[in-house]
Amino acid sequence: MSLKKTVITFILLAGIQLAGAQIRPNETLVYNGSYQLSGMMTSLAQITMKTEPIKTSSKSYLRLCVQVATYTKWDSFFKIRDLYESYVHPYSLKPTLFKRNVYEGGYTKQEKYTFNAAGSQVSAYSKRRDKPAETENVNISANTFDAVTLMYKLRTVDLSKMAKGQSLRFSLIFDKKEHFIWIKMMGKETVSAGNLGKKECYKLSISAKTDKLRGVDKNLVWLSTDAKRIPCMMKFSIPVGIGQVTLSKATGI
Amino acid sequence: MRKLFNILAVVFAALGLVFAILPMGSIAFLPIILAIILALLAMWKSNDSQKKFPKWVLIISMAILLLVTVKVVFVKDKVVVDEQFMQENVDSKSEAQQELEGL
Repeated sequence: MSLKKTVITFILLAGIQLAGAQIRPNETLVYNGSYQLSGMMTSLAQITMKTEPIKTSSKSYLRLCVQVATYTKWDSFFKIRDLYESYVHPYSLKPTLFKRNVYEGGYTKQEKYTFNAAGSQVSAYSKRRDKPAETENVNISANTFDAVTLMYKLRTVDLSKMAKGQSLRFSLIFDKKEHFIWIKMMGKETVSAGNLGKKECYKLSISAKTDKLRGVDKNLVWLSTDAKRIPCMMKFSIPVGIGQVTLSKATGI
Repeated sequence: MRKLFNILAVVFAALGLVFAILPMGSIAFLPIILAIILALLAMWKSNDSQKKFPKWVLIISMAILLLVTVKVVFVKDKVVVDEQFMQENVDSKSEAQQELEGL
């Protein structure tokens, strides 16, 4: 390779690095999930986000896995064991299969979305406790993601060029419906990021035309400004209350 | 007024004890601090022969305050190793892998 080509390749790679993070396999992010009770935050559950490579005989996938488990002290009162999995293309993060297995204080729900190759339709299976299983086909627009993949996809977006107040639109399939989600740049803030210390982050506001998210700029995510784009903190306001998720440990990044 | 302070102090101290037993974290401080304030007010409104009851409420509230402080400061949040949940995770991955093979 000539020197000119080498320099160009290096610049391009550096540009890609600065643009957004490439999601790596075997990354583990552990969070503390808190819930607001009487105006004070109380630790409720541990949230673990893991990535791992998965191979079939002909294709490679990246498994994006989110596990939610209540702390032992809560298990006797309100036990949560949620498992969310997405099987995506390792580079484009295009989803192929999404699975959701929820156990929340006795309530159970299983969901499975199988995306067709064109990414225009999802075969959605769902089963709630005591109710018969339902399967239906849902038409989706191009570049529609499931909830887990969207969280990772956001990390690959070039946020450095976004001005304060500027928004990006994403399409999300949740509860067998397509929703449009707007991500608004709120600026930069330094937040505590567990074993990573203090991190400068992009503060982003998430909004959607749905009753699942409450308030204006009440659903927020802080993504580190470095090349890793680690989600360091999240705040959410949903119909059942207000919560906060803070990074406690990051490994394999 | 003294009676009201005494009754409210007992109610908040009892609430504080319930919160201290339940995994409510630092929220338990709210009723306990109120119980202490109310017990002090009841003592202030009492003559010497009436101070015994609010004094005991105050002592009990202080003991609950100590218990909550110890729990908040020293007891770390942890997740139990849930074999069933781990197995569900493994089974789900294996099932997904088979499905992906067929796609």
